Amino acid sequence: MIRNWAKAALLGLAVSTALVSVAEAQGVLTIGRREDGTTFDPIATAQNVDFWVFSNVFDVLVRVDKAGQELLPGLAESWEASADGLTYTFRLREAKFSDGSPVTAEDAAYSLTRIRDSELSLWSDSYKIIKDIQTPDAKTLVITLNGPSAPFLSTLAMPGASVVSKAAMESMGEEAFAEKPVGSGAFMVQEWRRGDRVILVKNPNYWDAANVSLDGVEWISVPDDNTRMLAVQAGELDAAIFVPFSRVAELSADPNLTMVIDPSTREDHLLLNHEHPPLDNPKVREAIDLAIDKQAIVDTVLFGQGEVANSYVPKGALYHSDDNGARGFDPEKAKALLAEAGVGDVALTYVVNAGNEVDEQIAVLLQQQLAAVGITANLQKMDPSQTWDMLINGEYDLSVMYWTNDILDPDQKTTFVLGHDVNMNYMTRYQNDTVKQLVADARLEMDPAKRAAIYAEIQKLAKADTHWIDLYYSPYISVTRKGIANFGQNPLGRFFLEETTKSE
Amino acid sequence: MTARPAFAPRWSARFGRRPMLAAGLSILGGFVLLAVLAPWIAPYDPILHSKGAELLPPSLAHPFGTDNFGRDVLSRVIWGARIDLQIAVIGVAFPFLIGTVVGTVAGFFGGWVDTVFMRLVDVVLAFPFLVLMLSIITILGPGLGSFYIAMALVGWVSYARLIRAQILVLKTQDFAVAAASLGFSRTRIMFRHLLPNALAGSLVFVMSDAVLVLLNGAAISYLGLGVQPPMAEWGIMVAEAQGFLTQAWWITLFPGLAIVTLAFGFSLTGDALADLMGVHE
Repeated sequence: MIRNWAKAALLGLAVSTALVSVAEAQGVLTIGRREDGTTFDPIATAQNVDFWVFSNVFDVLVRVDKAGQELLPGLAESWEASADGLTYTFRLREAKFSDGSPVTAEDAAYSLTRIRDSELSLWSDSYKIIKDIQTPDAKTLVITLNGPSAPFLSTLAMPGASVVSKAAMESMGEEAFAEKPVGSGAFMVQEWRRGDRVILVKNPNYWDAANVSLDGVEWISVPDDNTRMLAVQAGELDAAIFVPFSRVAELSADPNLTMVIDPSTREDHLLLNHEHPPLDNPKVREAIDLAIDKQAIVDTVLFGQGEVANSYVPKGALYHSDDNGARGFDPEKAKALLAEAGVGDVALTYVVNAGNEVDEQIAVLLQQQLAAVGITANLQKMDPSQTWDMLINGEYDLSVMYWTNDILDPDQKTTFVLGHDVNMNYMTRYQNDTVKQLVADARLEMDPAKRAAIYAEIQKLAKADTHWIDLYYSPYISVTRKGIANFGQNPLGRFFLEETTKSE
Repeated sequence: MTARPAFAPRWSARFGRRPMLAAGLSILGGFVLLAVLAPWIAPYDPILHSKGAELLPPSLAHPFGTDNFGRDVLSRVIWGARIDLQIAVIGVAFPFLIGTVVGTVAGFFGGWVDTVFMRLVDVVLAFPFLVLMLSIITILGPGLGSFYIAMALVGWVSYARLIRAQILVLKTQDFAVAAASLGFSRTRIMFRHLLPNALAGSLVFVMSDAVLVLLNGAAISYLGLGVQPPMAEWGIMVAEAQGFLTQAWWITLFPGLAIVTLAFGFSLTGDALADLMGVHE
């Protein structure tokens, strides 16, 4: 009873602050999430909050299926590659933008040129492989590459490569377009109340509109996890994403709710700064790997919602290899290795994102585990806006980060993490020329079997060097009211809201 | 003729007539005892994780329950008293010392000395208190040391203004003029004759300031810029347990109560002292 009173009080607070909302029309799905989006210009963001809404507002030439395994036709009905892998010819389907104008090859060419060349683009590098784009007719798109590229088709499925209306972008201007875009997705932006919510309505001109059940979708920002969960429990929201791990068991027991747990490509890892002694010593890095009880993180912080990670390539994702020499938990061996390395007392600076509950809990846990083998981790809680710069500048020894794949192909993440790129192998300063060469080779290898072998080798070498320490894989966890069906994401994060139904 | 009144009865009589002071001082005393005796009275190690004992509700074995790492909340609250008292005392002591000296010098000398110091006060006051604190701590790096430095750099202005105002009044009074005419040094007049008379207001303010400092310390730690894990501090405990509010209220409630009670102790003592010394804020 007391519990219910407390809930009622909290709920009252939630309703009065976050959700001053009128009764929703039936058929409009309200989804609570942490932050509001930042833009509707597909090329100008790298954030999941934006990408996840883009996939419902825009369409891409090539889509990724629900299981996150293969590429499916999107705006491109069919495509073929030339024998040398340099020329791709796409046949576009009959589709219209939300303003009723047809989607043409010119729009697609414009969108791809933009993501490659525009100053606003955060993704230029991934599309520099495109040499030339031709539009022989309104429905045919011919793309010529600078060289063969195995991941090329996958990159076309990234939400950043969404096809925008050239006419609308040019008449509205980039700034206005980023507020109220014209796309060809299942839904269109009716209103964006910045910081509060994005209101989407069904796009009557969507090529598959007949199969879209919802009248609209509202993405509502409710930053506090507890408040967001209470709002779903009370029926103020139809669904909420980012369910805290600690709440899963409790919410599962609520007869009015359905838990939606979808496999993701998220992988959390502990970054090690290879430039800071004694982390330049492979034995010390290996010792840290052995000293960390990853299962304890899964049990204590994730409440069992996840599993221990053994590779930087997420489990279930393309070219993941289990046979990579991943180490178990062995504090005795860790101590022996540290003694062998002769590094004496090790004290490391561990940068933590302040305010990130999971990050902070992992930090407290790792601090204790490392202490057990004689390593002192000095936690430095910093505002998330600063931690990123600290990592880039190398002002850290340890820090936990995560990555979710944006494309199906492992090339993107591999390049960031092991490609010896400008980002210093995801800020770790890891150096291994063999690995560097293999990453470049894998990109050019068109035979899937040979690529798989190269990626297996990369995973083995990187693990042996302990380039970083893989911690855990975790799923996307959402919760919906009963009566909401087909709500969920694929491993890359795309929501299939065009298939979601709502019944009271 | 009566004999010299015995000291003890007089004080107990005073306490009897001043329940506020008695209550305030006993709360403070209680926390001091808790802090001093922490290693002996805390039932468990405050930072030791205990697998399998996570999120246990209050029971005989764990009167305040356990947190998400299986740490005993009671033990953490007891050990937290050490840090939070330290925050209140050190966080007030440095601003008090700096502010008193600056205020006395500025008030006594007047002229350009006064102008320089008081404009400095204006500069510090021009920034919102917390914003200034946060910027200083961010520059120095998170931690208790930075917090104390930031408190000293920002907190002294209130004391300087209080003392200066008192000194300005006192230095024109007969006893001060008399001291000057007797040829005492300026230092002696300032610190032996004027300052003791000017201190009453500040001493009362110390108590209410301690409340503010305590809450600031908890807030700064809550934001991740103060005490760093795994040390037990009440503000951090509240922050860390926020996600568990609906399932495990005990992790937030008890450290929260501790903060409120200690703050209450300081307030009561401050109010009682004000009455006792005839100071009205």
